Amino acid sequence: MTGRPGGFRIVGQSVRRTDALEKVTGRARYLSDMELPGMAHARLLRSPYAHARLLHVDVRAAREVPGVHAVLAASDLTFCDPFYGPALRDRPLLASEVVRYEGEPVVAVAAVDEATAAEALDLVEVEYEELPAVTTLEEALAPGAPRVHTAEPLAGHFSDLSSLRAKPGTNICHQFDYTRGDVATALAGAHLVLEETYRFPRIQHYSMEPHGALAQWDDEGGLTVWAATQNPFSVRSELAKMFALNASRIRIAVPLLGGGFGGKTYAKLEPLAAALARVARRPVRLLASVEDAFRTVRRCSARVRLTLAFHRDGRIAALACEADFDIGAYADIAPRVIQKATYTTTGPYRVGHVKLHSNAVYTNTTPGGAFRGFGVPQLVWGVESMMDVAADRLGRDPVDLRRQNLLAHGEEFAPGDTPVDGKLEESLGRLAEAIQWSAAAAPGRAKGIAAMMKASVAPSVSEAIVRLHADGSANVLVSTVEMGQGARTVMAQIAAEVLALPLDRVRVVPPDTSITPYDQTSSSSRSTTMVGRAVQEAAQDVVDQLRKIAADMLGEPAARLTVLDGAVVSGAQRLAYPDLLDHHFGMRGGELIGRGVVAPGRTKTALGGSTPFWEVAMGGAEITLDEETGAIAIESYASVSDVGRCINPQQCAAQDEGAVMQGLGHTLFEEMVYEGGQLLNADLAGYRVPRAGDVPPRLETLFVENGDGAGPFGAKGVGEGGLIPVSPAVGNALARLTGVRMRELPMTPERVWRALRARTRPTTNP
Amino acid sequence: MLRPFALHRPATVAEASEILAQQGRDAALYAGGTELLLILKEGLLRVKSLVDIKRLPGLAGIRADNGHLLIGAAATHRAVEHAPEVHARCPLIARVARHVANVRVRSVGTVGGNLAFADPHSDLATAFLLFDATVRLAAQAGERELALGDFVVGPYETSRRDEEILTSVRLTPWPAGTVGAYVKYGLHERPTLGVAVALTVAGGAVRGARIAVGCVGPRPQRLAGAEARLGGWSLADVERRAGEVGAEAAAAVDAVDDLHGSAEYKRDMTRVFVRRALLVAAARSAGRESHERHPHTVVV
Amino acid sequence: MSAIPIRSSSSVRCIVNGRPVALEVRPEALLLDVLRDRLQLKGARRSCDMQVCGACTVLVDGAPVSACTYLAVEVDGREVTTVEGLADGDRLHPLQEAFIDHGAVQCGFCTAGMLLTAKALLAEDPSPTPERVAEYLRGSLCRCTGYRKILDAILACATPKAAAR
Repeated sequence: MTGRPGGFRIVGQSVRRTDALEKVTGRARYLSDMELPGMAHARLLRSPYAHARLLHVDVRAAREVPGVHAVLAASDLTFCDPFYGPALRDRPLLASEVVRYEGEPVVAVAAVDEATAAEALDLVEVEYEELPAVTTLEEALAPGAPRVHTAEPLAGHFSDLSSLRAKPGTNICHQFDYTRGDVATALAGAHLVLEETYRFPRIQHYSMEPHGALAQWDDEGGLTVWAATQNPFSVRSELAKMFALNASRIRIAVPLLGGGFGGKTYAKLEPLAAALARVARRPVRLLASVEDAFRTVRRCSARVRLTLAFHRDGRIAALACEADFDIGAYADIAPRVIQKATYTTTGPYRVGHVKLHSNAVYTNTTPGGAFRGFGVPQLVWGVESMMDVAADRLGRDPVDLRRQNLLAHGEEFAPGDTPVDGKLEESLGRLAEAIQWSAAAAPGRAKGIAAMMKASVAPSVSEAIVRLHADGSANVLVSTVEMGQGARTVMAQIAAEVLALPLDRVRVVPPDTSITPYDQTSSSSRSTTMVGRAVQEAAQDVVDQLRKIAADMLGEPAARLTVLDGAVVSGAQRLAYPDLLDHHFGMRGGELIGRGVVAPGRTKTALGGSTPFWEVAMGGAEITLDEETGAIAIESYASVSDVGRCINPQQCAAQDEGAVMQGLGHTLFEEMVYEGGQLLNADLAGYRVPRAGDVPPRLETLFVENGDGAGPFGAKGVGEGGLIPVSPAVGNALARLTGVRMRELPMTPERVWRALRARTRPTTNP
Repeated sequence: MLRPFALHRPATVAEASEILAQQGRDAALYAGGTELLLILKEGLLRVKSLVDIKRLPGLAGIRADNGHLLIGAAATHRAVEHAPEVHARCPLIARVARHVANVRVRSVGTVGGNLAFADPHSDLATAFLLFDATVRLAAQAGERELALGDFVVGPYETSRRDEEILTSVRLTPWPAGTVGAYVKYGLHERPTLGVAVALTVAGGAVRGARIAVGCVGPRPQRLAGAEARLGGWSLADVERRAGEVGAEAAAAVDAVDDLHGSAEYKRDMTRVFVRRALLVAAARSAGRESHERHPHTVVV
Repeated sequence: MSAIPIRSSSSVRCIVNGRPVALEVRPEALLLDVLRDRLQLKGARRSCDMQVCGACTVLVDGAPVSACTYLAVEVDGREVTTVEGLADGDRLHPLQEAFIDHGAVQCGFCTAGMLLTAKALLAEDPSPTPERVAEYLRGSLCRCTGYRKILDAILACATPKAAAR
């Protein structure tokens, strides 16, 4: 049974996903499949203007429509705190006095069915007075620009953001600063100083399942919300605050998610569903459409000014970054996105002199929040492009230049911060080999590479409970959300491995804040590491209890006992778990409960916590170009991730293949386009996501496995990393192919076409 | 979600026209629904009745008609793709139909719906222009036949009167010795550009050329000036000088800015793809098939 | 001439997953809602709601259609196959097996549509080239897998060219 080094039975095996059967047969259940007796259906009226004063909202006629159970405008929200938001409580449930982006909810209706709700919304009269809007960073940061927000909002539930640094009188809602060393002096003494500006567009998550929530109040004033959320406990604290309830009176249950990608972190539609259900006095289901999702959250766009300086020998002398992130009309989690991402601008490299500043800038657009990579892709796009520019200017090979600057295994990322837990050189070497870096590209082709290193969220907490039942089967209780990443399978593998049970004897219980223990969030590539370790500990706790019982029965020290195939064994003696429990409880009943807690606390680093592990990914692309159209084709792509150890190799590959393809989306196609404050492509006909035909003919994912991760069995996180190097790898390949350096994403054919023409046309300012 | 409507299933064109005449803009013609149901769902159009014409006798038929090819308005893209009459008389159209939108839209969407909706980002109208297509419009008062170019007057705009029903499109097959190609290009769901070309070659020289460009502007257009330039050229001339025709087409085409690209870019893509399409057609004329492939490009 | 008046229903008789079904539906009822809400067949899912993504794909007389943009009255007298009808009892369809084995399933939201689209493709072309599979899936989006494993799973179910001849 020991198929892999380390003697693992189940860990390290590509076992079938535990949810695969229900998913291929159509039996898997998502939020939109849930119905409750008497349930009402909700619809929202959204603002047609990017910025306007609400002069008058008349919902009287809507209330009269038969079958309507609740009609809410901002003025009706007297029974709760009408503002929410994890970083700043700046987002109203329904627009009050002012609408701040096109698509902002103004009126909500719950009715017997959607058609009735729609009919009611048709009768709502809203009078707007249009106000000047800011939809770009330039507009928002211009002196005297119209203000998106004028009042000072309250802090949300993150203590590290309690000292939010808004810039009074501007649209800057938060600033982050970090300095080490002396950048000015380092720049003065540098051999090469590069200064460039890179832009990253607004991106839509497009999880195929849009947002949704189903809320129900019970007779005792308790609230249950079934939610398509990545972090039920954050939703719970938000609702507790808004409705002045104890956490114990709120239950957030999470079915399977049809994708998340960060778009389902923190409260989205749950508060509104709860408010509607309160007034309707019945369960209310609020399902967003894809068009609604485009008006709910997006990736923060960015303009990043970078100064990267080198010594003559190729060592990085200094890095300075001035980043402006367009966070849209409400803060969501963007203040955290900007500071966490900016802090790791130096990525996998050793840089002694660093000066980083970033602004979170309000604009009259869909709020920006978390999205796979959490701000890092926006910065890596620039830094990794400039590493190639530098290699070119220094006459160095891009792989070689990177290798020279990589942090060593065990070296602190920054003084006092988490040491590097992988062998970065090994990743780079594997990548160079995979894309045959040293071999010349065929005519018409070129290769490019990029590297990244990302922190996971810290401080953070994950808890797990493992219950071993009298029949020898087990439940794993964790609040990890299954959104496609395969977490439930991985948790079952970890528990089964430790408990020495077959996989089918272990079942992972779906998240329910009234049942499953606390977990901060299913994001940040953290679940395998954090929750996985908690599961490992909890299972080990059960094993320890079993061994203690067996020791008692056998009269042997527990330390000498091991578990194997559902039994505690000592030499030839074998005590099956049911017999142990029977002995322990004196009956066929009872259960052993194991507990695991992983909680690396606060540290004195700039972010107030130190990442539990570093996510390391590198990517290499080989491209061709249709020079006449500007269309790039990815002929080959290799992705290398240092995962410590693959718990499930097939699912690791699946994560990285998906990440690479999602990365190709914002590299080549994806962008939410605004014109005059109007979002022009809030649907899949106008917003182009990667299709099957876009898969590179050769797509390879490789994993570095040294068993040195902070997670169970030396594993660590995967899932975001693979996406991040894609843009600079492709941009670097394009530069090597054509000499044209793209600094704005996506690299659509037209943008490349323009750049090629600018290259061939003589200009006065080359 | 759709708002309530009545569904009429007239037995004859006259009945259908009568409903339209009575209800005016409160009624909408319905066949495949792939365009109509979308705008109804979005609330861009509100009607009280749908008039289902896909079961009208003969309306889904595809047949030869006095040397022409007659495609019923309610024929689906899939039916066009597979119809032997289309393969025999206008094979390019069968190939174009095979690449319209996606397989689900092709299963349901109809030729008539496509033309009557007049989405500028459509393949069929462009390809039909090469076959001197005419459309037949029927009403209680009688029928009329219009050149396709007179039918599609702008984006989402046709010269169909409220009470009229588009019943069929008539294509004139090409003379012997004619080969064609359709090339479409684009990133999004709908094409950014579609170029249809045909070359009639006799005695080693081009005796007739047809070029139509669609998607880049408000409506598809034939480019007579570019066509004329090819007259008398040998296939070798075409292969050498196709770029000149592309440039002429680019200068003549009516391009507009939209989400698919700037007018400037589309104009240049017109130049590129008219040339490429001509090279494909010239190669085919010489019995060769080019296997060169470009990103986001479909060659049929 | 016949007509279903506004806010009235008409009867639809069809075969769904091999079983006869009789329903009263209003003209504006979409097939997707009827399958999901009336017949409790939840495997087809609403995503883009505009025939681009394929999450709501079902087969009507064997042809893939977008149930989100298809009137339920149209299935009168026809045969509808949803993902729930793919397996033969407890025996999975080979495509379902292949999707599991190849790891072609992640969040699962696209899976039903992918499976039915693949079924239609293989019925039409039992030995498709990889290019043909990718082209056929043009209207079938997946945001999780990156498609590679889906393409592999479908190709694994194709009849080898030699055998097809």
